Amino acid sequence: MTITLSKPHSAPAAPAASARAFLGQTGAVASPPTRTSSQDVVDALLVKCAHGDPASFTPVYDALGSVAYGAALGVLRDPHHAAEVTQEVMVEVWQTAARFEPARGSARTWVATLARRRAVDRVRSEQAHRDRDQRDADLRTGQARDVVVEDVERKLEGAAVRRCIEGLTSTQREAVVVAYYGGLTYREVAEQLDTALPTVKSRIRDGLNRLRECLGVRHG
Amino acid sequence: MADRTSTGARSLRSGAWDLLPGYALDALDDADRLAVERLLETDADARRSLDEYREVVAAFAVETEPPTFVRANVLERVRTTPQHPATGARFAPAAADRVPHADSTWATPGAPESGPSPDGTGDSDVLDLAARRQRRRWGLAVAAVAAAAAIAFPTTIAVQVTAERNQLREQSEIVSEMLADPDASIRRATVDGGGEASMLVADGDMYFRADGLPQPDQGRTYQLWIVKADGSVSSAGVLSWQDGEASSLVRGSDGVGLAVSVEPETGSEQPTTDPVVVLGA
Repeated sequence: MTITLSKPHSAPAAPAASARAFLGQTGAVASPPTRTSSQDVVDALLVKCAHGDPASFTPVYDALGSVAYGAALGVLRDPHHAAEVTQEVMVEVWQTAARFEPARGSARTWVATLARRRAVDRVRSEQAHRDRDQRDADLRTGQARDVVVEDVERKLEGAAVRRCIEGLTSTQREAVVVAYYGGLTYREVAEQLDTALPTVKSRIRDGLNRLRECLGVRHG
Repeated sequence: MADRTSTGARSLRSGAWDLLPGYALDALDDADRLAVERLLETDADARRSLDEYREVVAAFAVETEPPTFVRANVLERVRTTPQHPATGARFAPAAADRVPHADSTWATPGAPESGPSPDGTGDSDVLDLAARRQRRRWGLAVAAVAAAAAIAFPTTIAVQVTAERNQLREQSEIVSEMLADPDASIRRATVDGGGEASMLVADGDMYFRADGLPQPDQGRTYQLWIVKADGSVSSAGVLSWQDGEASSLVRGSDGVGLAVSVEPETGSEQPTTDPVVVLGA
């Protein structure tokens, strides 16, 4: 399978600062990962609800429910599943709010991470059920979890990472995209792309490193 | 990017460092994930790096308004759901050891014991069969396992925080994959004559392991048997015994359980003695 994101005039990865400036100008990006004051407000709301009454969670849900749903949808094709995952995740956010450490990342990232994890778990357990029912190990990485190019195009629309992804080599992009949207393990990515496992590992690592630079992500 | 020039110790763990992007993507199998978690426990630079990768991964997410019923349900459940304390959740293997992805999300992970996670129900009375076994002849024991399989005996008891899982984890890559299967389950039972046996089952594969087994008498050996749904048994080979331990991986069988008996050294076509242990899938 080949995944190419057609963008004929795409530019290579821009240095972090100019990428930020560019994103700021276009406003085409839903949620740039750079810290903004509104994100700080959301972080503070989440911290505050940790020892608060349930009512204090309402603004947290309103700010972050769409992140959970969006992250879950990235992995799950079925909106119904994504809605269930969102429900579970947002209750988990409430329950574990005291464990959120703003110094380590934004509330948005925290919630997106939780939601992705649950969505991936769901994909894998559904897949395991199918495998068992059909007694067909080949399905494990087959059609069922194939990442469809058009889907990816659509899903990336509005993602902060959209522009940066053009700066990856085509093989890096392919490996990262398949791992992200397929909810696959390295091993499964390797099988699906018919590529050696160590190669897949380094492509994903190098790909994420490039994205990190392009997005200007830097902690500490 | 953080400056990471220090320490020779780190070169030992460069393998785990390389896996941080995969960890952030939830793309690691169990064995790799554990290697990363060990690194994260002790290395603040690794935690910071993971935080960066997670931010990158989160940049793929596009805010999308969920259906309105989700909001109502969540706020309703929040009203009646108590919060967890901040502390107490550490990297303790016991806590992080649930099903795959049990670790919590920020890298000081303690498992967020969130709602529907199974809790301590894992090892169950998998085999009260084991208790009954002692009185059984082969036919009966085997019939019990087969029948249990036929009536949907609790098949998917989630892999739990148990000592045997830790032991099993040290095994081959195949076993790692089996552990990564969210539907994997473990059965255990004591062995007549001494020792404990456990069986990891995932997707048609069965991994048998026993320890504390007494050395078989001169000229005798432990032999492993696959129990089929129709009650028949077929040999899975003799087990090599070493320091009380024996293990074997049975792949792609259509068995519903495993059993062990003591047989002549060369092995038998069919069991000639009572089983010392029977494990039902």
